[in-house]
Amino acid sequence: MTGMAVLLVAASIGLWLAHAVRVPAIPVVLVVGMASSALVPIPGAFLEEVLILGVTVVLFVAGIELDPSRVGRYRRSAIRVGLLQFFTLGTVGLGVGILVGFSLQASAYVGLAISASSTVVVIRILQQRFELYTPMGRTVTGILLMQDLLVVLLIPVVVGLSDGPAATAEGVARTLGMVAFAGAVLRWITPRLIPYVARDEEFLLLTVLGVLFLFVGLGHLVGVPLVSAAFLAGLALSPFPVNVLVRGQVKSLGQFFSAIFFAALGASLTLPSANGFLQALLFSFILVLLTPPIVALVSERNGLSARAGIGAGLLLAQASEFSLVVGLQAVLLGQFSDEVFSVIALVTMITMILTPVLATARVAGVLIRIHPFNSPDVRGAAPEGHVLIVGCGSSGTRLLEFLVGVASDIWVVDDDPVVVDRIGRAGFAVLRGDATDVEVLDSAGAHQARLVISTLRHRRDSAALLAIAGDVPVLVRTFDDGDDEWIEERGGIAVSYSEAGTDGFLEWLLEETSRGTGAGTVGA
Amino acid sequence: MISDIPIIDELGLIVLAATGCFALVRYLQVPSIVAYLVAGLLIGPVFGLIELSESVELVSEVGIALLLFLVGLELSLRKIRDVGRVALVAGIGQVVFTAAGGFGLCLLLGFGLIEGIFIATALTFSSTVVVVKLLAQKGELDSEYGRIAVGIFLVQDLVVVVALTLLAGLGRDEGMQAAEMLLSVGLAFGGMAILLAAAAIAARWVLPGLLGRVAASQEALLICSLALCFSFVLGAEVMGLSLEIGAFLAGISLAQLPYNDDLRRRTHPLMNFFIAVFFVSLGVQMEFGAVSDIWAPAALLSLFVLVGNPFIFMVLITRMGYGERTSFLTSVTVAQISEFSFIFAALGLSAGIIGQEILSLVAIVGLVTIAASSFMILYNHPLYEWIRPTGLLSLFRAGEKTTPIPEGRSREGHILVVGMNALGRRIAVRLYEEGYGVLAIDTDPPKLEGLPCDTLHGNVEYRAVLDEAGLPEARLLVSALRIEDVNRLLAYRAAEAGVPCAIHSFDVESTIDLDRMGVDFVIDSQAMGVERVVRAAYAQGAFDR
Repeated sequence: MTGMAVLLVAASIGLWLAHAVRVPAIPVVLVVGMASSALVPIPGAFLEEVLILGVTVVLFVAGIELDPSRVGRYRRSAIRVGLLQFFTLGTVGLGVGILVGFSLQASAYVGLAISASSTVVVIRILQQRFELYTPMGRTVTGILLMQDLLVVLLIPVVVGLSDGPAATAEGVARTLGMVAFAGAVLRWITPRLIPYVARDEEFLLLTVLGVLFLFVGLGHLVGVPLVSAAFLAGLALSPFPVNVLVRGQVKSLGQFFSAIFFAALGASLTLPSANGFLQALLFSFILVLLTPPIVALVSERNGLSARAGIGAGLLLAQASEFSLVVGLQAVLLGQFSDEVFSVIALVTMITMILTPVLATARVAGVLIRIHPFNSPDVRGAAPEGHVLIVGCGSSGTRLLEFLVGVASDIWVVDDDPVVVDRIGRAGFAVLRGDATDVEVLDSAGAHQARLVISTLRHRRDSAALLAIAGDVPVLVRTFDDGDDEWIEERGGIAVSYSEAGTDGFLEWLLEETSRGTGAGTVGA
Repeated sequence: MISDIPIIDELGLIVLAATGCFALVRYLQVPSIVAYLVAGLLIGPVFGLIELSESVELVSEVGIALLLFLVGLELSLRKIRDVGRVALVAGIGQVVFTAAGGFGLCLLLGFGLIEGIFIATALTFSSTVVVVKLLAQKGELDSEYGRIAVGIFLVQDLVVVVALTLLAGLGRDEGMQAAEMLLSVGLAFGGMAILLAAAAIAARWVLPGLLGRVAASQEALLICSLALCFSFVLGAEVMGLSLEIGAFLAGISLAQLPYNDDLRRRTHPLMNFFIAVFFVSLGVQMEFGAVSDIWAPAALLSLFVLVGNPFIFMVLITRMGYGERTSFLTSVTVAQISEFSFIFAALGLSAGIIGQEILSLVAIVGLVTIAASSFMILYNHPLYEWIRPTGLLSLFRAGEKTTPIPEGRSREGHILVVGMNALGRRIAVRLYEEGYGVLAIDTDPPKLEGLPCDTLHGNVEYRAVLDEAGLPEARLLVSALRIEDVNRLLAYRAAEAGVPCAIHSFDVESTIDLDRMGVDFVIDSQAMGVERVVRAAYAQGAFDR
């Protein structure tokens, strides 16, 4: 029980610290785990068992989250971006691994480890920013899901590398067979079985874990690694509504095993040598430098705005928790040394910690200014007596759709070259530039317009506009409590989307009640 | 074998056997504990497929700790204090009378003096784990009899500690000095006092600040709470106490915090897994080597536990003035022996005090009484209604005493509003002002502060939250969340319960998806907001020309 208590305390300290200083939890838990093992030695056999059980459950839960419907219509672009990022970074990782003296197999593991981004870190950041369901968020989710799948499917290939091409091909065939089996279970069995057993929570939990161990057993029988089998078991439970029914049962289990897994992983890590540190820095540098341009370039070509593409690139510039799984797999099979594993772990830690620092609107704003197609507009005479729309994201686009044909003198300001191009082609007068920049707003005639409408996401982004608008009425969209007051104190007119939603809902409810249907009947 | 890895093999076999047995017996309304024990018997003594390693034993212990942690979360110190006297008197009284009765019966059955003392002691322990699991399953932990039962079992856990200490002393070759034994017992009671003080200090001064900072992160809150639980378990072990006591006190220290209900609901699935492993392991560990020689005494002793123990309790509790129903329901809970009885017997065997046949005897009595009492506890109310007309219970001359029972809140015809962002809060307040019964739900306690309506802290991904919110009786479910997966789940749950729903959509994709799911009303705040912007623009005269 001592080992369990130590791991849980280490994980809780790590999570607490990560929450307090707002950095991803995984690297902090790894570091605290490492420190705790120095203070209280934990038996190696216990650590190994926690790692095996932990990785099994963590991958199983990751598989359950692999519902492609979350990606919506951005599936195709997600596949293109994800594949390019995955194989480019994988190839570079493999090449650099060989250059720094790793064996072919160790280099392949390193390549695989840095080729995918972290689902846990990126999804958390997107959730915190309420961007998970934006076009960028959906594309990024698709990229992550596909990369997770690729990593797990390629593990058997890398494992078999040292046994020659025949063994590798056999490994691929076996894995594909398991994928087909998971597909069949997903299609015909779990959608019938899970809603049926979900009436009893205890039975549901046992059934879900039964599916996990059946896949693990089958994987063992056909020679598919434990991690891949566990992930495919989760995949078999991933379609809606199976995934949401199951989630309530496995969520706590996943959080518990994930916490002790990363703490145990930290406790079992050794500090790399000076050379290992340099190698880790090199791989981290490659990852952080290459990912944003690759992702941004391909994303733009596939319909994302430049800002969204750059944002996606910055968000994806870190190694995945799956890198640790890949490394652990190799260590368990004795296919590379603890030193190489430590390098992989260090790359994961460095890049994960860097993510919240790099993936910010500020850095994206800097990069968008050096975007190759972002040459400043020729500033002629500022328009006058027009309607100016500032910011043209999803809300601004919907507004423009409303205004087509209503007024002819509409001007739009946005800093995204892709968006500007699209609006321009739709026939609106458009000015490319940063809407928080007074000079840009002056050029757009914000101080002499008939009306200005700001659809910018954050209230602070409208501060410059409100400061220079003078007597011009400025409508600013808001959502959160407190924003209305803030805007009105600065002379703007707040238009609350949450209030609009509330009114719309209450109108509907009143209608239902007066008709005596739906919500108007139950218990009334 | 499932893999080449022993821990995966063992857990896999346990889970698959438990699932299979559960599926087979669930139509017979058999308690899950019985299914687990049968699964353990099948893969252990019957087919010999498994030998338990220390790792699985650790998993079982984690299950016990989580179960008692949950009990602590549910019961505050005040609730326990209310039943403190009856728990102390009945708990100790039952140990004394059962031990005396059991010893007499053993002598009558022809067992020797030492064996008789040994068996009688094993019979006095009732299983906290079995009873708490069943009471939690029935949702009656917080009932009057549930609280008395939990109090009694905690008192008995202390007695177990003392008994095991004494046994350890007897088992030593050179024997333990009386002073040494007294010191061990004193250490156990001192440890209890230290842990109680630690729990009180943590609850009052440490935890509110410490956990309040991570309350918004559900994962951090869960893991920090579990870390606290296992720290207390470790502390209890260090001080010679049972892990149950440590885990229970950890739960008690968190019971006063505003997120204890949510924490309880989220720990529940975790406990279900670990405790299933515990019960299957219990079945695996049953030793029936000398079963043919001891079946008759085993049957008689089982009967003694099943009937004699509740009888002794009826006498004790009714003497303290409690009513007939409460006394009966409490008494039924003690009609089994405990997993500690097996440990006790195994210790006795290894110390050379008893033979293999006594270990088998304890195993059979354990299996029979745990299985039979599971039925008795699960169906305790019908059992009471069945026995009452016979007039047997009136012989005990029960009193009328009751302890105050926390009022349950039943809801009907209300509107559930999930997600207290700006939209959710506005909707909840407006509905409340319109005179609707509103229950606001969120995972973050500060977001529920200041609302005029009823509130519930919890994550709706856990079915228990919606059950507690009374979804099937609700008039409408509203979600203001900006989390697509959870919105889809809510739409599904509402359809399943036949309750209309209005769900927030924040972009075109989710609007299409929710429409496809047949949601009654999609709150497309963006589209409604844009319409309002256009109206405001017209009001400003922007499009007059």
